[in-house]
Amino acid sequence: MERLITGIKNLDYILGGGIPAYSLNIVSGSPGSGKTIFVQHIIFNNARNGLKSLYLTTISESQLKMVRHLQDFEFFSDDLLGDRVIYGDLGEVLRKQGASRGLDYLTQMIKEHLPNIVVIDSVKVIRDLFPDEKTFRAFVFELAAVLSIWEITAFLVGEYEEQELTRLSEFAIADGIFHLYGQEEKRFQKRYMRILKMRGTSFQYGEHLFQIGPVGIEVYPRMRPEGEELRYDVKLGRKEFGICGLDEMLCGGLLEGTITLISGATGTGKTMFALKFLLEGAEKGEKGIFLSFEEPAVQLQNTARCLGWEIDRYLAEGQLEIKFISPIELDVDKHAFEILDMIREKKVERFVIDSISSFESSVTDIQKYRDYLWAIGQHLRKRHVTTIFTVLNEDLFSPLIVSRAQLSLITDNIIILRYVEDNSSIRKVLGILKARGSDHDKSLREYEIAPEGINILGRLDKADMLK
Amino acid sequence: MSEIIEKRIGHYETLLREMWTASSKYLGTFSVNLLVERVVWEVSLEYKEIELLQYDQNGISCAKMAARLEENPDLPVEDMFMKFITRYVEILARLLGHERAEEIRKKLDEEFAGDLSASRGE
Repeated sequence: MERLITGIKNLDYILGGGIPAYSLNIVSGSPGSGKTIFVQHIIFNNARNGLKSLYLTTISESQLKMVRHLQDFEFFSDDLLGDRVIYGDLGEVLRKQGASRGLDYLTQMIKEHLPNIVVIDSVKVIRDLFPDEKTFRAFVFELAAVLSIWEITAFLVGEYEEQELTRLSEFAIADGIFHLYGQEEKRFQKRYMRILKMRGTSFQYGEHLFQIGPVGIEVYPRMRPEGEELRYDVKLGRKEFGICGLDEMLCGGLLEGTITLISGATGTGKTMFALKFLLEGAEKGEKGIFLSFEEPAVQLQNTARCLGWEIDRYLAEGQLEIKFISPIELDVDKHAFEILDMIREKKVERFVIDSISSFESSVTDIQKYRDYLWAIGQHLRKRHVTTIFTVLNEDLFSPLIVSRAQLSLITDNIIILRYVEDNSSIRKVLGILKARGSDHDKSLREYEIAPEGINILGRLDKADMLK
Repeated sequence: MSEIIEKRIGHYETLLREMWTASSKYLGTFSVNLLVERVVWEVSLEYKEIELLQYDQNGISCAKMAARLEENPDLPVEDMFMKFITRYVEILARLLGHERAEEIRKKLDEEFAGDLSASRGE
């Protein structure tokens, strides 16, 4: 099927390659939801590819105002105006000559300009010019037929509220419906898009985050847990930490492509274990990304240098990348998608999120948080990326608590780091709670983070320390 | 109307009616009417006489065209009709996909072997 490529970041991916050509699409949403920018971004992108668009305004926004508002976006170009992007006023014809003349005027404009895309902004205004629903429905039906016969992909823009989408006749006739809306979530004023209908193609359901920025519209597809059973090749290779005792406890390291949770109280060294895992990979030529929500890259570099690790070399060579995102700015919808994009592009083999507790604080509800982690986990497994999530255990001395959000369900391996009291001193112990598909050491081992690195010491000899 | 003109026009009228019926199955008569309107407009940029074609949602007729041919026997009806049919099938192929358009084309080919192939330069 021939498609109209929107050129909007990630939108064509959601649409399975683009909007079916010659379809009639409604772009709905409240005033200020981004409808006009959405269609303008599409027509200017297509104008650059040689397609011609006819943008017919009614009374919602004059051409002058529209151009003034659009000229700061990167997609906008003066050179395309009047040649590839042609503006017209349908509203005046409808008001002076009556609604029935609207189609004749449109056909005349089509014959004159032979456009590939037609936009009517706003169609909601046109509906008010018709005496009743029946005649408006007939108009939209004829409009759809005329546009498709002239091989035109059409966008009807309208200020519709969500409850109108199931009630009004134009939505029954439309081939595609894009609904744009915004809502406040914690610290963010967020914009979402839902594709409610798209005849002739499969597309991704659900709400997709989008942003309006200098480039125009950028869409971040919804992270979704796969509906079907996850199928992927199980690799039998191991990925070592490069920490002698720990790799022995894991019978040679973590199984390739698995997800490991390192749970521990503050100061137990979760970050250092995870970082060492990536440095060991870098030493073997494997690319790693450390996504930090806790410490900026400079701070991590300093700590690693103090332990004698060659972090600067690996960063310079591109074997290791540290990406710091402040938890204040974290937007899970956006970042989860970017993470996977980055992993795919850079062919990453080892990946760390430090810590996923920061994810939790930015998500509205705990179920959404679990869904995100589940979806990310599935995508990472499919790509055979060996992953570590660190998670903060807020209870310093509580025995063997992993996390409060039942994250253990999404992970293959669990390593616990915790404090124990011993004769008025605090010692650190490590245990492997789970290693799916692999044997592992069941004992608790003391460890220390010394100037020369992480040392795994002997078995814990005092059982009463865990009480 | 002379028998020769009737034969010349009748040949194409049958072809157009066949095309109308075959494409109505997929597009519906309302859209077929719009498609004919579009193709008439496009071909009229070269042959104004195509506007003599009569059509509505009930079908297509070449009666006016035949009358004009009586007055002007040099009218290039063959070329004009073949341009019309070729353009019609081209658009149909894009609207319905090549598979459906090919079905329609095959029907027309069977009915009037050679005409369409010749127009496509095969």
